[in-house]
Amino acid sequence: MHAGFSSVIASHEMRRFGLSIALTLVIFELILSLLHYFSLVDTMARLSLRAEARRFYLSYFWWVLEPLLYVAVFWFVFEYLLGTRTPDFLMFLAVGKLAFIWFSKTVNYAANSVAENAGLIGRMDIPKTLFPLAVILECSYRQVAVFALLMAVILLDGRPPTMNWLWLLPLAALQLLLIIACGFFASILVVVSRDFAPLINLGMVFLMFVSGVFWDLNELPNTDAVNLLMTINPLAFLLNSYRQVLLWQQTPDFLLMSVLAAATIVAIAFLTWLMNRFSKQIARRVMSQ
Amino acid sequence: MLAIELKDVAMQFAVAKSHEGGEHSVFAGLNLQIHQGEKVGLVGRNGVGKSTLLRIIAGIYPPHAGSIWRNPSLSIALLSLGLGFKNDLTGRENAYLAAMLQGLGRRAAQSRLDEIGDFTELGDYYDEPVRSYSSGMRARLGFATGLLLDTDILLLDEILAVGDQVFRSKTSKALKEKVSSERTIIMVHHAQPAIRETCSRVVWLHDGHVRMDGDVNDVLSAYAADS
Repeated sequence: MHAGFSSVIASHEMRRFGLSIALTLVIFELILSLLHYFSLVDTMARLSLRAEARRFYLSYFWWVLEPLLYVAVFWFVFEYLLGTRTPDFLMFLAVGKLAFIWFSKTVNYAANSVAENAGLIGRMDIPKTLFPLAVILECSYRQVAVFALLMAVILLDGRPPTMNWLWLLPLAALQLLLIIACGFFASILVVVSRDFAPLINLGMVFLMFVSGVFWDLNELPNTDAVNLLMTINPLAFLLNSYRQVLLWQQTPDFLLMSVLAAATIVAIAFLTWLMNRFSKQIARRVMSQ
Repeated sequence: MLAIELKDVAMQFAVAKSHEGGEHSVFAGLNLQIHQGEKVGLVGRNGVGKSTLLRIIAGIYPPHAGSIWRNPSLSIALLSLGLGFKNDLTGRENAYLAAMLQGLGRRAAQSRLDEIGDFTELGDYYDEPVRSYSSGMRARLGFATGLLLDTDILLLDEILAVGDQVFRSKTSKALKEKVSSERTIIMVHHAQPAIRETCSRVVWLHDGHVRMDGDVNDVLSAYAADS
């Protein structure tokens, strides 16, 4: 009787031991496949950067040249033709525009990324999030160079770096999360119908106007309107925060940053689930377009 | 060991509303079992759904109805013409990406590149963007990456139909030599000699059903007599 009871306990413990080994193996395998997934994303991003550099005579120099030209054009129009009254307009514009371009260009590229890879999608059953994520990483590698240049310009302008600049890291991380969420969503829209591609492009122009790229939100007479805009348009909040950190020696609103980060993470998780759940339907849709 | 099993698979495609009520049925109630190591040829008229069937087997499309089961321990690759390459990348970079997409790590993928390059006989073109390749060169690259990546199940969609005579005989020789008895091959090909050389079993698709399934010689002669 006693021996039987202890053998029941022994077999129970054996089973628990077996279960925990199986669980460890599953987790280990999951981590391995995640690592492979991210190294694949990284490879696709790097190969694409290399291919792009090969195509142009000025090669990698375009990474910083193109955003700078954008700033130059806007500066010329607003400073000379329209006579803006925003103080220190060049620096103000450079911070806003360079951060905004990262968002707008990346989301535009990401929007077409799944539909454009019909060839690969028609040959393999692969996670569809791979394509927008590779594009996002590619643009983000480029943005590191752009941010470095921006900081150099601000230093040259006679503003010494302070500890406040460390806020750039969480701000850039938050912007990256926002880009991933919007990029995934845009890529799904374009798979549903290609007609969304020009609309997304137009949406970026609209977003540029309401995010305070070339005008200061804080100069609006109605503070309620400013607060509302900052809350419903995360990009307006982000651009303002970048300026607070780099130009005005102010601390950004940490609470709003945390809320936005949480919301974007939930959105990314949902969109990832959606793209995996309907992976094969996406393939069929892309192949028949 | 069973490699692939299709049960009552049906597939439809959306077409213009004026045709067939907007839905074209490619197949209905298709049943097929393929065991590991089998070399199967798929024949049938144009539009009968051979390429679609390969895509369903590869897990790219879901069937409209029915079920597809694939042995989870076996890796699979679909090789078809003109698809799947990034034009801006070189042949070597495309092969690297293909290897990683098949699940190889960076180092393992890197180690295969020279062998793949040698097999393609592309020479210096291997390091040129695929954009500049002829269709024959693309096919060679596609075939070499598929063949040399040790995939368990190879689905070949007309991939052997291009390339010059020399490369074609090289590929069919490679299929015999490099493809061990454990590898499963399902191929679609219009030229019967190519199927005879590689396959032992042929499935004849007709009007959305399997019309005949059996020994390569029996099915091919019945198919030839019908068309």
